[in-house]
This record gives sequence, C-alpha cells and structure tokens, in this order.
Amino acid sequence: MNRRHFLRGVAGVAVALPFLETFAPRRARAAGPPPFAVFVRQANGVAQQTDDEPERFWPSALGPLTQASLAAETDRAVSVLADHADRLILVRGVGFAFPGNGCGHSGGGNQCLTAAQVSDTPSGAGSLSMGESIDNRIARELQPAGVEPLTLYAGKMAGYLDEVLSYRGAKLLRAAERNPFVAYTKLFGASAMDAEALARLKAARTSVNDLVRGEMKALMARTDLSKGDRDRLDLHFQSIRDLEVGMACNLTPMEVAAMDAIQGGVALSDNVQTITRMQMDLLALAFSCGVVRAATLQIGDGNDSTEYTINGQKQYSYHWISHRIQGDGDTGAPIDNAPELHHEIDKIHGNLFKYLLDKLASYPLPTGTLLDSGVAVWTNDLANKYHSYDDIPYVLAGSCNGLLKTGQYLDAGGVNNNKMWNTVGAAVGCTKDGKTPMDDFGDPSLAPGFIPAMMT
Amino acid sequence: MPVARPLGRGVARSSLSLLGGAALALAAVLGGGCIGKIGDPQGSGSGPDLQTQVETSRFPRLTHLQWENTVQDLLHLPAPSGLSASFTGDPLGGIFDDNEASLLVTPGLWADYQLAAEELSAQVTNDAALLAGLLPAGAPTDPAARALAFIEQVGKHAYRRPLTAAEVIRYQALFAQGKDVVDGPDDFARGVRLTLQAFLQSPYFVYRVEANRKAGEDGNIPLSAHEIATKLSYLLWNTMPDDALFTAAEGGALDTPEGILAEATRLLEDDRARATVAWFHEQLYQYDHYDDLNKDPTKFPTFSPALGADLKTEARLFIEDVVFAQGGGIREILTSRTSFVNDKLAAIYGLPGAFGGEFTRVDLDPKQRSGFLTHLGFLASNATKLEQHSIHRGVFINRRVLCAQLPDPPNNVPPLPPPTASQTNRERVDKHTGKGTCGASCHGTLINPAGFAFEHYDAIGQYQTEEKGFPIDSADTYPLGGKSITYQDAIEFDALIAESDQVHECYARSWLEYGYGRAHDDRDRDTIKELGKASRKGTKALILALTQTAAFRTRAPQKGTP
Repeated sequence: MNRRHFLRGVAGVAVALPFLETFAPRRARAAGPPPFAVFVRQANGVAQQTDDEPERFWPSALGPLTQASLAAETDRAVSVLADHADRLILVRGVGFAFPGNGCGHSGGGNQCLTAAQVSDTPSGAGSLSMGESIDNRIARELQPAGVEPLTLYAGKMAGYLDEVLSYRGAKLLRAAERNPFVAYTKLFGASAMDAEALARLKAARTSVNDLVRGEMKALMARTDLSKGDRDRLDLHFQSIRDLEVGMACNLTPMEVAAMDAIQGGVALSDNVQTITRMQMDLLALAFSCGVVRAATLQIGDGNDSTEYTINGQKQYSYHWISHRIQGDGDTGAPIDNAPELHHEIDKIHGNLFKYLLDKLASYPLPTGTLLDSGVAVWTNDLANKYHSYDDIPYVLAGSCNGLLKTGQYLDAGGVNNNKMWNTVGAAVGCTKDGKTPMDDFGDPSLAPGFIPAMMT
Repeated sequence: MPVARPLGRGVARSSLSLLGGAALALAAVLGGGCIGKIGDPQGSGSGPDLQTQVETSRFPRLTHLQWENTVQDLLHLPAPSGLSASFTGDPLGGIFDDNEASLLVTPGLWADYQLAAEELSAQVTNDAALLAGLLPAGAPTDPAARALAFIEQVGKHAYRRPLTAAEVIRYQALFAQGKDVVDGPDDFARGVRLTLQAFLQSPYFVYRVEANRKAGEDGNIPLSAHEIATKLSYLLWNTMPDDALFTAAEGGALDTPEGILAEATRLLEDDRARATVAWFHEQLYQYDHYDDLNKDPTKFPTFSPALGADLKTEARLFIEDVVFAQGGGIREILTSRTSFVNDKLAAIYGLPGAFGGEFTRVDLDPKQRSGFLTHLGFLASNATKLEQHSIHRGVFINRRVLCAQLPDPPNNVPPLPPPTASQTNRERVDKHTGKGTCGASCHGTLINPAGFAFEHYDAIGQYQTEEKGFPIDSADTYPLGGKSITYQDAIEFDALIAESDQVHECYARSWLEYGYGRAHDDRDRDTIKELGKASRKGTKALILALTQTAAFRTRAPQKGTP
C-alpha cells in the first residue's frame, strides 16, 4: 500500500479554499494566528563558563542587546542570532529545583519543561517526571480537546534515553515524531475533498465513532477497574474526535519531496541538521495555520550521541565531547579541543534556532510577523560540561504580541524554572482560573510567580 | 506469513545504558549497591503479599508489530500493510516494545488507527478475492444472512472471542448504514467496509481485553479460554489466534496446563515463533546499535557503516540456528562456535577460504570465538572508533546477560589522564577505576572484569594478540553465585557464566518481561527461578515453561476505583 495515500490532517480534512489560501502557504491569515510557544531542546549542556573553562556561550555583558553588540562577540555562541537581537531575551540564573534520581540526563529531561519532581520509581535512566510539561499545559488549556501539542524530534533514538520532553502528566511521557514526512502528512496531508465527499466521510466516521464510544463507555462503567486502567481508557476515549473542517496548509512540493526522500535516513548523524530544519518548517507552518499553540522539538537523544561534522571532520559523540573524554562513562582518553568542539556544536544549535526564527519571521502579519505573535525557546536539559542543573541556558525570541520584553540579556537571579514557564505560559494566554494569568505551574512545593524582568 | 520485524522504526527498547548519563562515578558506586547477582527488582516491596500475583492491566494494547501481524491475518492480506510504519510511536518502557505501561491509545495513535482502518477497509472491499475471504465457506446469499455471517465470522476473529448477541445487533445496524456513507462495488461491500472500520477501531481489537471477573479459590481470576488463547498466540506469534487455537479454546482444551502446553508446543513449531524469538533477541541485544558505526578509516580500512546490516544478519541467523537448529538456549548463545558470515565478515574474522555475498554457516576458531559476545556486532558496537571499550562491554554483560544490579552513572567525574605510550587500554582503565581505587565497588569487581575478558577484540571485533607491543591481558575474576570465578579470556569467561544459575535466571527474567509484557517484580522471584531451570533445557523449553505458570493462566484482581 502506498503510504503517500495514508494521510490525514489533525486540523481536520482540508476543504477546497480560494487559490491564494490553498497554494500560498506562507501567506498568514489576515487576523493572525493566536499566540504560541515552541520549545527547542539541545542536550548535554553548553560551553558556558565553569571553574576551569572560559565563557563561550553568553554575551559579555548583561543589558540591552543590539545586532552590533551580539555580532561583535563572535567567540560567543549566541552571536549567531545577531540578526534577531531586538526579538531576543537571553536569560541566565534559572535552574531546576530538584535532584535527579540516579541519572543526570534523565533527571534533567524530566524537569526541563515540567518544573516537577523526578520519580522515585522508576529511577536511573528510566526516571520520569512527576508533572505535566509546559507544552501540555498550553495545549490542554488553549487547544481543542483531543488535539495534542506537536511533539517532534530530530536524530537517532539510541534506546537508552530517547524522547524526554513532553509529559501529559505524572509519569506519562509523550512519544515524539522523528520523521518529518510522517509528521507533515499527519498534520496537513489530507487532500482537498468536495462537499459531498466530506459529508459522507463525516457521516461514516460519526457512525463508527458512536459505536466505539458506546463500547468504551460500557468498559469504563465497570467498577472493578484499577486506576491505571481507568486512566488508560479515559485517554483513549478523549482521543476519539469527530471530523472537523480546517484550512488547507501546505509546504511546497519540493519541500515535501525532500522530506519523503530522507525518510530512510532520519536516524543518521549526518542528517540531524537537515531533519531539524524540516521539522522547523513544519512547526512554522503549523503555527501559521493555527493548528497547534504549543510544540516541542528535541534535537538528539537524551544524552545526545550525534556525531557532528565540524571543520570537515566527523567528530566523536557529542555526549563524549560534552564530557571531554572518549566515553559515555567516567573513563576514556581526553578529546583534543573538546571545549572548542562543544562551542562549535552550540553554534550549530544556535544556527538551527536562527533557521526557525527566520522561518517564523517570514510569515507576515498585519503587525509584525508570526515570530512576534508567539515565542520560540532554545533551551537545554543541562547547564554545562558538568551537567549541572543550575544556570540552564534560556534563549527566547518573540514577544507574544508585546507581552514579553525583548532585546535584552538578563540574570533572573537563581530562580527555579517554574517561574520561566509561568512567564511564558501566561504570555501565551494560560490562566489559573480562567482569567488570572497562570503563575503556579510546576511542582506545588515551588514558590509561584514570574520572572518580572522578562515582562513588559 | 506475518512480518518478522516491525515495519516501523524498529528501535530496540532498551533501558541498558551505554553509561549514558555521565560518568559511572565512584561515590554513587560505592554507596550505590552494586550487586553481583540478580538484584532485587525495583519498585516493589516485600511483605505479606510477596507471593501474590502481580497486578497487570486488563487492557494491554497491541504493539505496532502485533497490530501489523493481526490485520494481515484478520483480513488475509498477502503481505503486511506497512501502515504501522507511520503510527505514532510509543515511549520507552524498559527493554522490550510490549511493556503494557507504555502502550496507550493517544490522540495521535487513535487518528492513525482510524486512517488505517479506512484505508484497509477500502482495500479489502475493492478486491473481490479479499472480500470473499471474509466470509465462511457456504455463506448464505440472502443479504441479511450474508451480513450476519460476515459479522459473526470477522467479529469473532477481531475481538478474539465470539460476539455477544447485543454486539451482533449493533454491528448489523452499522452494516446497514454502510450503503449510504461509504463507497463500494455493491451494498454488501459497503456494509463490510463500514463494519470493518469499526472492528479495527474497537477497544476489543486494539486491546487484548481480559474481562473475566470471577475469582478462583486462590483469590486470583482465571482467564477465560479465549483470553488464554489470545495470550498464547501473542506470546508465541505476536498475532491473533489461528482457527485451531479458537477450536482448542472452545473445546475446553485450554482449561488445563497440559492442554495449554500442547497448543504452545504446536505454535512453537511454526515460523511465526521464529520471528518472535528473533525479535526478542534483537531488542535484548540491541542490534539497532550496529547501525551507523563510525570507525577510523585509516586504522580499519575494511570497515564501513554499511556493514551494520551484515552484522545484524549474522546475529539473526546465529540466534535462529542456536534456538531452532541446535535446540539450544542462552548456554549455547554464549558458547556456540558456529556463526554465519559473508565475504566481508569472513575477512574480519580472519577465516580462510573463499566467501561470497551470501551468508554461510561456519565454525569459528574455538580458541578465539565463543558465542554471541565474541561476534563482531556486539564487539564493534561497544567500542570507540579506535579501540575496544572495556567499560561499555562490561556494563552490557552485567546488565543484559548477568542481570547484575548496577546503579546509573552519576555526574562530575574527572576523566582519565592521557594514555602513555607504554600503557595498554586495560592498564589505563584499571588505574582509574580498578581494584584499589574508589571505583572498585562496581568497576573493579563487576564492570571491568567482565569487560577485560574481551580485551582480545579490537574496535571492530578483530582478534588481537598484543596491544602497543604488549601481550593482551584478558584474565580476571568475577563474583558469581557466591564464589569468584577465574578465567584467562573470553572463551573461559563465557563457558563459566553459561553454566551459572545467574545467567539462566537473567535470561528467564528477560523472557518473562517480554512474554508477559511487563516489568518483573519481587513477586516473580520464584517463577524466575523455575524458569531459569527450564532455560537449561533451551530457549524453546523456557518459552513453553512461560505458559505453565499461574501468572500466565490467571490475573490478580484489581482494586476497583469507582
């Protein structure tokens, strides 16, 4: 069976739309899509200052950012984002509140977007977050029921720590899609249908859904179910959706063909940057069409073992480089120039993030661009080569229509990352009671609040 | 025949680390309780209910491999549909892909199921031969009776039990709507098309529902005959029961352990069982790590990343030969001198003679090779691009072969000092982490000794007799079964551990997790010991033993929540 025909749209089946809407995908809707947030995650910490290594990531001075000031410091990784200086917020002084449980990478991934505690069991590399992630919180409140945050991935899954970011709730890790072609066809691939065919499809699906819902309700009515099974059936039941009609949103045939062509190589180190850019094309399209309000993109596995090519030479595993030795554990010969290589990898990630910003900024809106209407975050689940949980890097771009104060580099003063996600979540539109901006995200033991310096 | 492997990404689900997190650090190691035998499982307590049944889900979802096989068998498709390749994936849930805790129907997967059901139902109803295959022989021609025959026949196989009268009525009503809402050659085909869509999205299809509620004398709930048939079929074949198994269930043949054993024995002789055995080992031994291996082209000019596919083929053929041709098990996996090579692998093994592109069964040099751990795939995937990685090899063996309890590596451990010209790999590793250092608890006693046994094999698995002009030292001691075993090299090490209870119980524990689709638990301890004894008679005997436990035939009652 030809999988090209195996298509659907999360936004529903696309109906025939006027030519410009259907075939001019980068033309954003006049009213503009609602605010959104996307979280791009790099692994293994960044080459920022430690006791024994100099600063190679942040600008030299806190305060306002200009294109000139950023571009001048070419020895700092964030300099590659100079073109977007007035849209950036660089934040240091934010960390995770809780210790890991036997595996630093896993514990970092557990807390990265959740600000929640790490599970007692499972532990080690199998540890899980004890709370939902911020993308889930945004989607749960601001997206229609049954529409999940877009959860994307780039690179290989080595089977040790794969996806780590998105949580439906305590211990409920969400799987990520690493094949851009599959992700695209699931989101936007449904071909245009005429009204009669659409009505018949809707009727057929309704008939089937009604029968299946009836079976599910009968099962859920049983009183001898464990909580785990009840939750399992409830998630399934909530996932059943009737047909909705959405806009047609498309990438160009050339872009789709490239996604199709690389399907067999999505796990290869050599393709990780290409896959990342394709996923970013998809993210920008999804936000421009208002399909989702929240998304994640994880680059590399839990302890990213991608072998990047730098200066024409394929390097050791990024994880090894981040530890400066030839090994995932504590033993291995030193890697020559490892700090510099780590810095070069930071710049690769910076340039990938710049690609996303360029893409989002290419969608014009009546006031600014798509990028200005939401916020894109480049972060990490560890801080530095020691894989610390303090001073996690946060690079944000976009103001959520003016709610975030951009063009600055600030030190949040050692706060926990729940305040970062409260700030972002509130800017996107999350509330705690339907009207008051959300300030209580994350573990209940954490002090609520925002990072005021980020807000206008 | 159903697919032998998932059509999806085929990533092994592993919890074993290659020491992923940061360093195997010493402080945690010292206090972290390295246990040189099968450690107490995590996440369970002891106490009065120690010997009671482990509570399991009554709605274990089909894995994507199982879904693919099942729709192929249900609809009599000539080949796998391939549709599961683009299904939303499942997060890791341990080593194997069938851990019930990870198998949820999420919005993304529900939409995948819906589209697949629509696609398959269209395919089948537009193909006269496939459509005819969904009816029993001699089906009536009267439209209503014909529809009923289809519903009862396919419904029984989709639900893996006969439909209730109420269910039949609901499906008859749905069937009647088909002519108005879906396309097809005629009204019957349209009815079938809509009904198939519902069958394939029903919770009774996507889950292996265990609905029986009546407890037995011991407080546990016996599974129904159809539930046992389903459990047998998915354990051994990763697909739905065949007609003979349905007949056995309905004739009472599965009401006794002996009857279950007879059917399990029959299933084990089918090619589908070979596919299951292959997939188990593929996940346990991480064949996916053979992909994209990066070796130094100057030092290893004969190696290329493309060899990964050959390494996988060697591993698959070897396991099939051990289990089904030799009738062996983990003992032979660790000690057999046979393997399968093509010209490229033969060159790396240093085999004399002419080889072509086809794989040939060979006897490897018994002084150099002994079983899976001395094959190129394991050795090359646990090495750097220049040299063997003793630590990674040692961790793999401790965790996946011996089930020794190692803590995960903590952060912030200083690296090794640079190697000196007169220092071998072993000397460098030993100096930093070996006996007498603060890493002695795990590295010195468990990890390094197991890894050092394989010092004769370089970064691509070639046999080496010296390193930097110094003779290889692969001798060491390892704590096993309350004693210390001493060995000169991997050959001796493999032979010693292959006879140990620890290795057989570890292998049995992995089979229990895979076969029962859940993590093991303290309460499985006695079962694992018994399965370990069965393992000594070979993998097939172990699989049969899995069907003879109380945990297979019954389930624990769930604590109900309103």
